[in-house]
Amino acid sequence: MTRTAFILTSMFAATALTVPAAAADSIKIGVVTPLSGTYTPIGQQVKWGLELATKEVNAAGGIMGRQVELTFEDEEANPSVAVQKAEKLFEVQKVDFLTGTVNSGSTLAVGQTAERAGKLVATTVSFADSITGDKCSPNVFRVNARAGQQSAALAAWVVKQKPKAKVFFLGPDYEMGRSTVATFKKTVEGLGDESVGEVFAPLDSKDYTQYFGQLRQAKPEVLCTSVAGNDTVRLLTQMEDFGLAKNLLIVGASGTVTSQNISAIGAAAEGFGTGVGYSTQIETAENKKFVEAFKAANKADPDLYGADSYGLIYFYKAAVEKAKSTETDKVREAMRGLEWMTPQGKKTMRAGDHQAIQPMYVVRVTNGQFKIVGDISGEEAIGADDCKRF
Amino acid sequence: MAGLLEYIQFVLAPQMITGLALGVAVVLVALGLTIIFGLLDVINMAHGEFYAVGAYVALALGASGVSFWLLLVMVPLIMVPVGYAVERGLIQRVFNAPDRHVTTLLLTFGLGLVIEEALKIVFGPNTQRPPTPISGAVEVMGVILPTYRLFLIVIGAAIVAAVAIVVNKTRLGAFVRAAAFDRNMAASLGVPVKQVFAGTFAFGVALAGLAGVLLAPIYSVFPTMGRDFIFLAFTVVIVGGMGSIAGAVVAGLLITQVQVLSSLIVSPVWSDPIVFGIMVLVLVVRPQGLFGRLGHA
Repeated sequence: MTRTAFILTSMFAATALTVPAAAADSIKIGVVTPLSGTYTPIGQQVKWGLELATKEVNAAGGIMGRQVELTFEDEEANPSVAVQKAEKLFEVQKVDFLTGTVNSGSTLAVGQTAERAGKLVATTVSFADSITGDKCSPNVFRVNARAGQQSAALAAWVVKQKPKAKVFFLGPDYEMGRSTVATFKKTVEGLGDESVGEVFAPLDSKDYTQYFGQLRQAKPEVLCTSVAGNDTVRLLTQMEDFGLAKNLLIVGASGTVTSQNISAIGAAAEGFGTGVGYSTQIETAENKKFVEAFKAANKADPDLYGADSYGLIYFYKAAVEKAKSTETDKVREAMRGLEWMTPQGKKTMRAGDHQAIQPMYVVRVTNGQFKIVGDISGEEAIGADDCKRF
Repeated sequence: MAGLLEYIQFVLAPQMITGLALGVAVVLVALGLTIIFGLLDVINMAHGEFYAVGAYVALALGASGVSFWLLLVMVPLIMVPVGYAVERGLIQRVFNAPDRHVTTLLLTFGLGLVIEEALKIVFGPNTQRPPTPISGAVEVMGVILPTYRLFLIVIGAAIVAAVAIVVNKTRLGAFVRAAAFDRNMAASLGVPVKQVFAGTFAFGVALAGLAGVLLAPIYSVFPTMGRDFIFLAFTVVIVGGMGSIAGAVVAGLLITQVQVLSSLIVSPVWSDPIVFGIMVLVLVVRPQGLFGRLGHA
């Protein structure tokens, strides 16, 4: 009963709000993002970021005098649901542009839908290199940094801290764990550091002490790891217990130490470094203004996903204004090579693979909090253009 | 030559000593399992989850200010009625079914899934870790070993010895062994077989809980932690001989040494296949295990 009442009220409220705006021929942006399930917190940040930027843009007169209207659909982090919802938005709601997909599978699937519908989509979250690499699409853009950029930024920073150092690698034995290590290894070796060994432990290893023998034998100065979740808790605390963490620089993937496991790791997380595309601590006027507005609107700090989703609206605005149109071909042309401002600073959309080039940051755990310790220019971190489809 | 000495001191010796600590952890988990397996002939698939429950109870009580030393006594005592109730309420009901192995295996497997989900709902999916009760590290022959792991080796040995004495030297243990050897004969001689079975199951569950308290600071606490040691523990029970305490100790220490030493030479992903290979070999060559069954010495 209350539920029906709520739905009815919100429908009336929605109509009351959107009808006058729609009458002025608004620009419609569809958002297919997880609003339920495991990825809800990410979807929430995406929604908050997009809403904040849309509000600002609309208050300042919209895009080419037209108001921007967001339509949300829950994709449940499931590619097949995402495709259905994207089709609905393209065919029924007639949106001009689509964004919001979180997991890489959804982004790739929705990209194909967009190709069939002749529309453009952008992801603000998905990390998989393939989206703007071997599985690139002329209709898909990525405004956030991909996995390779994070790894390149971290590698560049590590080599600056420890030139010609011995690096040891430890990862979980599955595709992501191995590919993360392989990329990082290639990058640090290219910059002059030396690999002295690697161990791939089974996922969910309980005791990492059995691999400490190889670690001791190799006498590394840097340890690079791609373990995640509970594996990180065990690896780092056991290394700390055995005194192996002393005089060793420990770095890893962006998912190695997260807000979910940092409290369980405790003091053993101190000094852990990783590469990221965004931090609330970026000391620029744009970012300070963004963080303040985001906190005021949502009573929560923005994270990487909120910031990149916020920046996306400005990316679309800049592209439409440059193209003087919302037509797919004209907007695509305008997006290629486009430079625009975001909380992270200036981003450039690379024409060759539709991957945003942006400054990257290295953060380290200091007193239980991630603090920025270095930054790497966008050009240093971007890596090769592997897209061959356009 | 100097290189070899260095290898022994800095690589081989620490590896074997950390392997010993891991071995004690495995033996602690396998101990309750082997007693339940050997006596009741019940494959307790929920054993890992009882281990997890012990860890969570310790975590919750520890957070409300109970000291670690008190937990070592309290948690097993809390687990005893739990185990007793499970045996009388669930296992006893299907115990006399013709296909006991299958029904009890499925029953305890289902129970394990229920416990795991319940832990997820009550405590959340994220990993938690109680503080290490004894901090610091000691140097043993130039090898750094965390004090808590050393403590674990010592207390683990003490627990194993205590359990061995209870089973082999006391009147209670004689009841248990008699019931394991021939339950009808034991019953006709006045052994309260049902109570002995339930009590033994409860004892095994209490040991799992105790292992949970002891291992939580090292391996951290999360809902699926029960799966961690369970396959290794089953392997130890099979290789050592179902129900044999000495077998569990020897097999536990042997298998973990094989694991840690082999990981120096081959990729660590091979350590599980090697261990299971040993299990298969034992099953083929000596199916009763290294030390035979409890009550069948």
